[in-house]
Amino acid sequence: MSDTIEPPDPAGEYVLGTLDDAERAAAERRLAQDRGFRAEVARWETRLAPLARAITPVAPPRWIWRRLEGAIAAAPPRVPRGVAPWRAVALWRGATAASLALAASLGIVVVLEARDRPAGPATALVAFGQKDAVFVAERLASGAVDVRPIGSVGVPSGRDLELWAAIDGKKLPVPLGVLPADGRRIAAGEIPAGTAKLLVSLEPKGGSPTGLPTGPVLFAGSIIRSD
Amino acid sequence: MSDAAESLGGLIEACARGDRSAFRRVYDLQSGRLYAVALRMTRDAAAASDVLHDAMLQAWRRADRFDAAIGNAEAWLLGLVRYRAIDHLRRYGREQTGVDALEEPADPDPDPLQTLLATDDGARLHSCLGGLDDRTRLLMTLAFWEGLSHRELAERIASPLGSVKSWIRRGLLALKECLGR
Repeated sequence: MSDTIEPPDPAGEYVLGTLDDAERAAAERRLAQDRGFRAEVARWETRLAPLARAITPVAPPRWIWRRLEGAIAAAPPRVPRGVAPWRAVALWRGATAASLALAASLGIVVVLEARDRPAGPATALVAFGQKDAVFVAERLASGAVDVRPIGSVGVPSGRDLELWAAIDGKKLPVPLGVLPADGRRIAAGEIPAGTAKLLVSLEPKGGSPTGLPTGPVLFAGSIIRSD
Repeated sequence: MSDAAESLGGLIEACARGDRSAFRRVYDLQSGRLYAVALRMTRDAAAASDVLHDAMLQAWRRADRFDAAIGNAEAWLLGLVRYRAIDHLRRYGREQTGVDALEEPADPDPDPLQTLLATDDGARLHSCLGGLDDRTRLLMTLAFWEGLSHRELAERIASPLGSVKSWIRRGLLALKECLGR
């Protein structure tokens, strides 16, 4: 919608800086989800960047790098390019069976033969597009499931990982609670019947406030029935 | 694109794969320029430091959103810094510049025009900006460096909001056409 004769150019106006706060916030949400818009913004950034080339560099205070260094050491594993839709909040809000099927096709699932013979399903939770397992889930004789990290898992400060069950035939995943970086045991009764996949998303501290993943789904693993 | 810019793009792609040493090199290459931009926009050293920190952390976390086939790495980083500086200006306000507001922002650099002309794309942008009327060029420069919204620009030059939006949109369209993309 336009209030002038000239058509709005949201990408150009975002880059130039003239959008009001609500419009800027909308543009930033769109950037996260809309590849075409991102390209438009990138083209405007490139057009206008020479304006800042005239500036004389100033050495920044040293603490900035020290703080950055600490922050990136705690950053979560990267979600590789090509799975961007999974990072989009909106997708989850309208999650469909088709999008869960998409997850199944994207996740590379490694099933481990557990040395101590798990009593039931076992799965490895891997980052999309990667081979190395990050968490392993094993069902114990009691019916509980142990989710253990392999190696160390970094979680940014102020954030938590949250575990989800994706159930065959259900559109939306069921929350299983916050997953500490050092793993957690989930009681038998907490795992919904028909759980086909386990997902791990990055959420605000304390877990998703909405009951659905609000952050990127970092890891996923299919449950393989070994019995 | 210059070799330097191409290699900066390669470094950002390496960041997307989690390469921390690439991130260090990006910081070493770009932080001086980006900090100067943050300083110029916020006019406050503490704010500029926060802006640079937040923008660089975002560059690390969102490195996968950078596409070297479409964008320019320097421009992408500059954008992140400018957007965080605009956040700051919108949240905490800006120094009142009073009657000087209509002048081009003071620039401590010896000859920004020459620097702008020193590269092909800079020279093209300069020539295209020169084709705009004075008011539009001023509005666009104010927006670029001070992150003024359409409404704030309208207040600053005491003109109707609708007119300001029209001038900005015409200016953007003219630049886009002039730059040939």
